[in-house]
Amino acid sequence: MNPIFLLVVILIPLLGGVLIPFLPFRSRKQFEIYTEVVVIMASALVFLLMLKRPSDPFTLIYFTGDLTISFRMDGLSMVFGGMIAFLWPFATLYAYEYMRHEHNPVGPRHERSFFCFYTMTYGITLGIALAANMLTMYCFYEMLTLITVPLIMYTMSREAILATRKYMYYSLGGAGFAFIGLIFMIVYGNINFQYGGTLNPDLIGNRKNLLLLIYVMAFFGFGVKAAVCPLNSWLPQAGVAPTPVTALLHAVAVVKSGAFAILRLTYFCFGITFLRGTWAQYLVMTAAMITIVYGCSRAVKETHFKRRLAYSTISNLSYILFGATIMTPLGLTAALAHMLFHGIMKITSFFCAGAVICQTGRTYVTQLDGLGKKMPRVFGIFALSSFALMGVPGLCGFISKWYLASAAFESNQVLACFGVGALLISAILTAIYMLTIVIRAFFPKQGFDESSLEGIHDPGLYMLIPLFVFSAVIIYFGIHSVSLLDFLTKVGNGLI
Amino acid sequence: MNFICNFPCFSIVLCIFGGIISSALKGRAAKYLNAFILAVVAVMSACVLGYTLQTGESFTYVMGRFPAPWGNEIRAGVLEGGMALFFSLIMILSLFAGREKLNEEVDPEKMNLYFIMINLLLSSLLALVYTNDLFTAYVFVEINTISACGLIMIRQTGRTIEAATRYMIMSLLGSGMLLMGICMLYDMTGHLLMENIHANVQILAESGQYHIPLMVTIGMICVGLAIKSALFPFHTWLPDAYGYSTVSSAAILSSLVSKGYIFLLLKIIYRVVGFDVIYGSRVTDILFVFGLAGMIMGSLSAIKENDIRRMIAFSSVAQIGYIYMGFGLGTQVAVVASVFHILSHAATKSLLFISASGLVDASGGSKKFIDLTGSGYRNKIAGVAFSVGALSMVGLPLFSGFISKLLFAQAAVRNSGKMLPTLIVLAISTILNAIYFMKTVIRIYTPVESEYPVIPVKRHKVFGLAMVCFIALNVFLGLCSDLVIRLIETGLSMFA
Amino acid sequence: MSVLLLPILLPVLFGIVLLICPEKWFAKKDTGRKKLCILAATALVLTGLLVVRTLFLKDVGEYYILFYLTRKLPVQFHLDGIGKIFATVISVVWLLAGIFSFEYTKHEHKEKRYYGFYLILYGVLNGLCFAGNLVTFYLFYELMTLVSMPLVLHEQTREALIAGLKYLFYSFAGAYMVLFGLFCLSRFCLSNTLTFGAGGILDPTLVEGHETLLLVTAFLMILGFGVKAGMFPMHAWLTAAHPIAPAPASAVLSGVIVKAGVLGVIRVVYYLFGTQFLRGTWVQYTWLTLALLTVLMGSMMAYLEKGFKKRLAYSTVSQVSYILFGLALMEPAGFTGAVLHSVFHAIIKCALFLTAGAVIYKTGKKNVDDYRGIGKEMPITIWSFTFISLALIGIPPASGFISKWYLAAGALESGIRGFAYAGPVILLISALLTAGYLLPITVRGFLPGADFDYTKLEKKEPSALMTVPLVILAVLAVLLGMFPNGLAQMISRIAAAVM
Repeated sequence: MNPIFLLVVILIPLLGGVLIPFLPFRSRKQFEIYTEVVVIMASALVFLLMLKRPSDPFTLIYFTGDLTISFRMDGLSMVFGGMIAFLWPFATLYAYEYMRHEHNPVGPRHERSFFCFYTMTYGITLGIALAANMLTMYCFYEMLTLITVPLIMYTMSREAILATRKYMYYSLGGAGFAFIGLIFMIVYGNINFQYGGTLNPDLIGNRKNLLLLIYVMAFFGFGVKAAVCPLNSWLPQAGVAPTPVTALLHAVAVVKSGAFAILRLTYFCFGITFLRGTWAQYLVMTAAMITIVYGCSRAVKETHFKRRLAYSTISNLSYILFGATIMTPLGLTAALAHMLFHGIMKITSFFCAGAVICQTGRTYVTQLDGLGKKMPRVFGIFALSSFALMGVPGLCGFISKWYLASAAFESNQVLACFGVGALLISAILTAIYMLTIVIRAFFPKQGFDESSLEGIHDPGLYMLIPLFVFSAVIIYFGIHSVSLLDFLTKVGNGLI
Repeated sequence: MNFICNFPCFSIVLCIFGGIISSALKGRAAKYLNAFILAVVAVMSACVLGYTLQTGESFTYVMGRFPAPWGNEIRAGVLEGGMALFFSLIMILSLFAGREKLNEEVDPEKMNLYFIMINLLLSSLLALVYTNDLFTAYVFVEINTISACGLIMIRQTGRTIEAATRYMIMSLLGSGMLLMGICMLYDMTGHLLMENIHANVQILAESGQYHIPLMVTIGMICVGLAIKSALFPFHTWLPDAYGYSTVSSAAILSSLVSKGYIFLLLKIIYRVVGFDVIYGSRVTDILFVFGLAGMIMGSLSAIKENDIRRMIAFSSVAQIGYIYMGFGLGTQVAVVASVFHILSHAATKSLLFISASGLVDASGGSKKFIDLTGSGYRNKIAGVAFSVGALSMVGLPLFSGFISKLLFAQAAVRNSGKMLPTLIVLAISTILNAIYFMKTVIRIYTPVESEYPVIPVKRHKVFGLAMVCFIALNVFLGLCSDLVIRLIETGLSMFA
Repeated sequence: MSVLLLPILLPVLFGIVLLICPEKWFAKKDTGRKKLCILAATALVLTGLLVVRTLFLKDVGEYYILFYLTRKLPVQFHLDGIGKIFATVISVVWLLAGIFSFEYTKHEHKEKRYYGFYLILYGVLNGLCFAGNLVTFYLFYELMTLVSMPLVLHEQTREALIAGLKYLFYSFAGAYMVLFGLFCLSRFCLSNTLTFGAGGILDPTLVEGHETLLLVTAFLMILGFGVKAGMFPMHAWLTAAHPIAPAPASAVLSGVIVKAGVLGVIRVVYYLFGTQFLRGTWVQYTWLTLALLTVLMGSMMAYLEKGFKKRLAYSTVSQVSYILFGLALMEPAGFTGAVLHSVFHAIIKCALFLTAGAVIYKTGKKNVDDYRGIGKEMPITIWSFTFISLALIGIPPASGFISKWYLAAGALESGIRGFAYAGPVILLISALLTAGYLLPITVRGFLPGADFDYTKLEKKEPSALMTVPLVILAVLAVLLGMFPNGLAQMISRIAAAVM
């Protein structure tokens, strides 16, 4: 297939989104159909590109020297891009119903601009997925920060503005440090992504420690978006945004971009042969392990529903980072598997939370008593996603945890074995903070006042369809994951 | 000798005469005369640029019939032509944009005085760019100071007089040191023409004679020019001067005036003293340290500011620190980066000042942040322009600021000793810039109920057009930087 | 294959249907309840028959794979001796407790939910027994915890919710300790799908040099399954959860679900690691110590405890550790004693809790001290109780005696320093304590003493639905003691195969 389609697939949502505030829609229905069509077109094109991959990259702009903005579809792009392309149409559908109920402080046009930015974010995330070199990825990474700012700020409340500011400072600051990594790759190697790294051994010489320091800086720089300790306090605060934003962006697109960038940095830029066994690897692996336990511990104590899920995201992202820091092909496979599966599990949980907030306005876990009876489908699916997150065999979460642990043990490193311990501690904590919600909903305390639940019912089809589809996917991949994991293993070994 | 070779001299003389004639004209006539002169100067500079590119070398133009080493000389190459063109362009755009405000801010009787100052300023800038003689340089430095002072003071309020006084004192201090340095240099070498001085300095450096006086001289010249161009810690005059003058003045002052002195410093480094001697003298290390300090302190002070124009002025302090850091790094690549940053900063800073004035107008003339909330919606074009300028300052890809950062970082990496502090300070500076600029951008786009007037684009077409041109310039520098950098490199190679 | 899958799927399907059915079908007071009970009874009987049928099948050598979770982790089923024994016991207990509960739940609410989960749990437990490798076992183990939780939480009082959460926390902590083993072991085994093989499946060449890691893993797995079996120090959930559940649920929790933990330990020690690897290591010694400690502690706490159901819970803690002690000895006699005691204790404890249920249902009194004269009020119930207590204490010819005999013999045979003698001694002390906490109820029940107000007595015998299961269980407890040979021989054959 012609490489220009790599650019086209990014432009479709970007241009489609930009046009939204300017097109004269006569009714809400028209506007919804338009946006959904744009998103589905882009997703369809992504899948088409995955089937018939263009063999050459596509270069858009030439900067100075040999720095270019180019796009390419390789194995990693297929995984990340495929995940985004699959989830976005459903998320848009969900957002339609949600935003109808959401408090709109500015006016009807404000909602249009919301969807404008929401769709444009899709294009930019695809840009990150399809980036062929580090400069391109960095450019789109920075743009992602910017394009998501209006989304977080949507409610315009004081909380929202403070959260947005924090998000911006952290993200732009992190990108500043990641920039240093970019510079070093330009000088000491090639910025084009290649499996196994592109560092030139002759140039390294005796500056190995310096390069390791730069790697650590870049890791933490990208790690801001991936919410690694201690740079993760922006994520729970960003929970103040509307749920479609939190769900898609902060459980799937934005944070997974951070993890994706770290995967590219480790496996495709610096290369694992250079990094494995060094103090840098131990440092980043420890940071990932600490985050795993920290995220879960905070989640247990947190009573705000969405913030609890945000802390859970922080912890699960570090599962992916843990897999990445094991620095073996199996580690990459495990990280990719968890990236995919967690994306689906977490978006399901957030959508359930959003449905609850939308229908009842209750945002705290302690207010959820007995809702299981009135919203059985939502809470049933939430229970399913909880089981999946905990790692019950038969659902997809178990598969990715299995691969992570296998990779850890296969690597023969003592620290990795402790990492498995951290995974297990995190699993028990996950059980606690997820199941207490489920129990509250289905088994309220005796003497509970049922009349306070008058008028609450399951949400409409727009919200339920995505939930059902995701549940089916969770179960399907729990039972029949062999073909997918084979594919991921090939990607992990650099064969695709 | 080609006719074009006369152009540099013509431009300078034209400006001086323009200034003299303006004293006899009324305000309006002076304005049109000024515009005409600017246009002509721009065209002439473009021709010089084209010519020197074609011939591939710089030409020397003897003033009068006195040959070297007794007569006066002008030298023009690619770099000089490019600089002159760029300066005149910025001046045209700034004056255009501030035209309407000018009528409000300046008394009609004093209008022609204003344009006298502008013409003199332009002439001194051109002279600084083209001159090949140290004493001439000094004369025009003084003319520059006086006209800049006049520009600050044209609007007579208590603040501006205080600012102008402070500016005068600091400036004269700088000029004094410069003069002493020039005198001592003349004493030691016996010449005033740059090439002749250079030859003698070489001999002195090799023989080791007058070693300490030479070092002191270099030190005085550098510090003198540093004071005049507001390097930390000599920057205290800057926020007042830029903060309280008229809009066009602020734009011109911040973009152009300090750049003239920096360009002179560049000339002295390359043509008078010689690259190796300067770097051997370690003066540049001091400049480097002050540059780094300026980057941080300037941004820190900007964060604390409550007034938008003073905030932008402090940002200038930081940006000038970048340029000096580039000089301090000591490699050709770093100097290229600094020169590019001169261009980038000139374009961006004027953009910021002018758009800020647009926002201030939409907030009833108040410069305080609390009143500027939501002004992005009231004056749309100013809001967009300010955002573009802010993003460029933070270093977002697509804009010129990113390219500057890229060049500086690449230059730093090649210099092993100073690399780590440079990179770290670059990263920190990005974060700091992000803090105050992004906070402001969010603020101007936070919708709020206010009684301030909405300024539609249609009524202020010229302003809008000027803003668009500035944005285009910024994006051009960001995207087509390759072309510009090649020009700079060619220019530098024929500079010495 | 279907032979193995049907007993699992049938009750699960019935249970799910019950849960999904709208409330209205069973809303009418008596007919609704009857419909519910008949449905549940059908499921129980059908499945029970299917399970018993497997008893008569020969041990099937093949492993049936249902599907692959990942390339290396199939969900596998297998029929072997241990599985058959446990499945049969489970079916017997489940059926009888089910019949009991038809009467008991008359004064409970949300019966539909209770029966739904009861049936699903039955299917899951069958899956546990027929599991062919560690992953399948683990899958059903986690499902078991999840599905049994609604039974614990049934009353929805504050204590019930707290007990349920405690149960959850401990169970999952244990399950994740086992998971560590699941992650770690496959590299060291002959078959990398962790299929159970009699005598262990470790590959000696791969194990070289990694002994510490494997010993730690084994210990963690034993502890992990030990949580479910109530081994010290992870027994705290048991004494909170078992008393608070409705009586039939407590019966199955104490009688059967703790045996799931025991089955897990058996699989780990005898079918994964193998006794050769573990005998004589610190793992074995620590395990023996913990088990003996629990035996003593459980009995003592039961003796001191005044609440009837909680007393029985402590008794469970103690008795299950008899079984664990027997398994830890790694001797044929010890193994036989342990499995025998699993069977007997399941029957006995189920009956004990059903008695408690009957007493509380009829009199509402929960404290042991209030049971004076109860024998006169509910003679059949208390007589069954008496026989069962005798069985538990270990008085011949009741069943408990046989299993304890084998345990003591195994201890002496093993010749392990210290434990060989400490074992039987502690077993004896515990037996005395058992007598001390069970017999007074009978004694005071029939002979309340001179100062008792006999006029207050009324006939409170519960209905046949409750008494018949009790009687059946009591008879079984005694009969199995008098004719243990068939069972004992079967178990000895299994023991020989694994050691």
